[in-house]
Amino acid sequence: MLEVTTDATSSLHLDEMFEPDGTPRPAYAALAATLNGLDPEEIEAHVQAINTALLQRGVTFTVYADDAGTERVFPFDVVPRILTASEWTGIERGIEQRVLALNFFLQDVYHEQRILREGRIPREVVYSSKHFCREMIGVDVPRNAYVHIAGIDLIRDPSGEFLVLEDNCRTPSGISYVLENRDALKRGFPALFRDYAVRAVDDYPTRLLGVLRSIAPGGNEQPNIVLLTPGIYNSAYFEHTLLARRMGVELVEGRDLLVADNVVYLRTTRGLRKVDVIYRRVDDDYLDPLYFQHDSVLGVTGLMNAYRAGNVNLANAIGTGVADDKAVYRFVPDMIRFYLDEEPLLHNVPTYDCTDPAQRDHVLGHLDQLVVKNANASGGYGMLMGPFASNEERQAFRRQIEASPREFIAQPLVELSSSPTLIDGVLKPRRVDLRPFALFATKVEVPPAALTRVALREGSLVVNSSQGGGSKDTWVLQG
Amino acid sequence: MLSRVAESFFWLGRNIERAEAVARILDVNYSRAMELSARRPARAERLWRSVMECAGFRPNASIPADGRAAIECLSHCAFDQKNPSSIMSTVRIARSNALGIRSELTMEVWETINVLYLYVERQNVRGVAREGPSKFMRRVRDWMQAVGGIADSTMTHGDGWNFLQAGRFLERAYMTARVLEAVDISLEGWRESQRLLEMCCASVPFVQASHRSPEAYDAVEFIALSPDFPRSLRFCVRELDTAMHRISGNPEGTYGSPAERRLGRLRALFDFTSIDEIALPGVRVFASNVRRELELLSHDIEHSYFPRLAAAAVGA
Repeated sequence: MLEVTTDATSSLHLDEMFEPDGTPRPAYAALAATLNGLDPEEIEAHVQAINTALLQRGVTFTVYADDAGTERVFPFDVVPRILTASEWTGIERGIEQRVLALNFFLQDVYHEQRILREGRIPREVVYSSKHFCREMIGVDVPRNAYVHIAGIDLIRDPSGEFLVLEDNCRTPSGISYVLENRDALKRGFPALFRDYAVRAVDDYPTRLLGVLRSIAPGGNEQPNIVLLTPGIYNSAYFEHTLLARRMGVELVEGRDLLVADNVVYLRTTRGLRKVDVIYRRVDDDYLDPLYFQHDSVLGVTGLMNAYRAGNVNLANAIGTGVADDKAVYRFVPDMIRFYLDEEPLLHNVPTYDCTDPAQRDHVLGHLDQLVVKNANASGGYGMLMGPFASNEERQAFRRQIEASPREFIAQPLVELSSSPTLIDGVLKPRRVDLRPFALFATKVEVPPAALTRVALREGSLVVNSSQGGGSKDTWVLQG
Repeated sequence: MLSRVAESFFWLGRNIERAEAVARILDVNYSRAMELSARRPARAERLWRSVMECAGFRPNASIPADGRAAIECLSHCAFDQKNPSSIMSTVRIARSNALGIRSELTMEVWETINVLYLYVERQNVRGVAREGPSKFMRRVRDWMQAVGGIADSTMTHGDGWNFLQAGRFLERAYMTARVLEAVDISLEGWRESQRLLEMCCASVPFVQASHRSPEAYDAVEFIALSPDFPRSLRFCVRELDTAMHRISGNPEGTYGSPAERRLGRLRALFDFTSIDEIALPGVRVFASNVRRELELLSHDIEHSYFPRLAAAAVGA
C-alpha cells in the first residue's frame, strides 16, 4: 500500500493536502483515500505510461545547458494539486484586479504619465527599466490593451494566504503543460477523477483566439492572425505549435514575414497575404532589427513601423516588460489604489529596494537570510537563495549589488507550501507555486487553467523548469 | 500556405521515402548476402557495391574484400551522420522538418515520426549488427510506410498534403531510378532480376501480374513502365504530376511553370515508351537520364514555390 501521510516535522510551511494534525484537508480526503488504496507498483505503471506518452507526443522543453539544446520531458507528477471553488474565486478576483491595473499603468506610462507626475512611482524606476520602450511613447494600441496574456506567479505562505511572487507580462509560457497534463492524467490515471468535479481547461485556446480576434486594428472582424515563434530551438516551441494548431492559426518564423509600405505580409506559395494580428512569442529585443537588436535573425525588419502605423497589432504589446520589472513590482499595489481606487486583493511579498541606501544596507547585512533576484531576469536564472548559498556566492552578489543596485531586489525567504509528490515510489512533500493565466481584451478573464510547478529536489524552493522543477495537474473544483 | 511550410512538407516527403527505400534495400541485400557462397567473393563485392551505389550515394566507394563489407555498408548506409542519405540522417531530417511544421501536421503523423526518431536515436551499428539488421531495417521501413498511410488518412488533402505527396513520389521515382541504375541484369540473369524486384518490393506484384518468373527485361519493364504498380517510374511521375497540378490549379496536360512542363515531358516519356527503347541504350543509361531529369525537376519545384529559402535544413 502507498503510504499517504504527512511529514510531521515540516511545520514551517503549509501542506496543501494535510492539516497540521496529519488528517487530509476536506477537498483532498477522497484523493488521499484513492491513493491509499493503490499499491506502489500499480502507480508506477501509470507513471511510466504517462511519461512514455508525453515523450512520444513530444511534450518537451529545451534545456540550454549545452550547445545541443537537449529536449526533455517536463517532469510530471501524477498527484494533482487541488484548489477549491472559493480559493479559486479569491485568486480570480485578485488577478482580474491586478492585470487591469497593470494595463492602466502601461497605458499611462506611455502617454500622460500621471502616476509619475503625481509621484506615486519614482520616474527613475520606470526610466531605468531595461524594458521601458521609448519608441512606444504616444503610440495608441487597439482597445488600450497592452497585456493580452499574463501569467501571474503566486505562492502560498504558511498562513495559507496566496501572495504574488512575480508578474509575467511579456511572453509567459506554460499553458501547454496545463493542457497536456490534464489530458495525460485523464487518460493515464482516470481513477483519480472518480470523486471529483474538476473544471475543464481545454477551452483556453478558443478563449485566447477570441482575444486575438478582438484586438485587430480597426476592429476588423475577420483578421488574419499568426503566431510568431523564434523557431524549433526555442524552449517553448512545443507550446507554440500546440497553440497554433488548436487555434487554427499559422505558426510563423521571422523569415516567413515581410513588411512593405508599413504592412506586414506572409510569404506563401500563392504570393503575399496581409497579416493583422501577431501573437508573438519573440521578445521585444528580437522583434525588429531596425529598432532593437540589430543582429537578430528572429525578427522582421520594419515590424515596429508597421505596428506604430496601426496596420498590425501585437499581443502582447511592445514595452510591457516595464510592468513586470522586479523593481516596479513593489509598486503594483500602489497602481491598484491609484487607477482603480481599490485595495489590493492579493498581496505582494515584501521587497527591498537596493537603490535606497538604508534598504540596501539592510540587504547587504542580511544576505544569508534573503532571496536576491536580478530585476530583469526570469526562469530562475540570476538569483541568490541566501540561506542556501555558499559564502563565495553571497560575496559575488554583494559586489554586484554594490556595483549596480538598480539591477537587484531582495525579498525575505517565503516558506512556500508543499504538496505530496511521488518521488521514487514514495510520496514526499515538495514545494509548489501556482501560475494562473489571465486574458485581456475588453475585460480580464482568468480561465480555470493554472500551472502548478513543483520543486522536485528535496528542500528546494525553486520551481523553475530550468532548475529541476516539474509540474502537476491543477484541479479547480466546480462550485 | 507558407513557402517555408510547403518546403518542409516537400522535404519531409522526400526523407520519409528515402529512409524507407534505404531500409528496404539494405534488408533485401542482407538477406541475399547470407545465401552467397564464400567461394564466390566477386558476387558479394558486386552486391555490396550496388547497395552502396543506390543507398549510400558513393559511386566509387572502396568495398573491403573480406567479411567486413557488410558492416561497412551498414555503418555507411544506416548510421553515418555525414551521409545525408543514411537512415539516421534521413530520419533526423524528416523529424526536424516535421518539428518545423508541427502545428500543420496531425498529432498522429507527428507522433509516428517522433516515435521512430526516438527509436533510431537509440540504435548503433554494433547493436544492430549483433541482433541481425533485419529487425532494425523492417522497423524503419514499416514505420515510414505507416507515416505515408497515416498522413493520407488523417490530414486534409490540401496544399500541405500535396507538397508531401510531391516530395514522396519524386523521391520514390528517384530511388527506383537509382536501383535500376545499380543493378546489372546482364550478369546474373534471373537472380539479378529477382533482386531488382525485391529491392522495389515488386516480386509478388510482378508474379501476380505476369504469372511467371522474370526473364530478360521483364523486371525492368515492370519497374519502369507498369501503369499500376505504386513504385514504377511511370506511376510515381503520374502521381507527382497530379499533386503539382492540384497545387497550381492548372488542368493536367497543361503547364504553368517549368516544373509542370518538365513533368509533362516525363509523363509522356513513360506513357509512350516501350521496353525496347529502354534496352537499346541500356538500362543504366536510361535510368541515369531519368535520375538527372528528376534532380532538375526538384530544382524547378524549389525555384517556383520556395525561392530564397533553399538553404534550410534539408538533405541533398
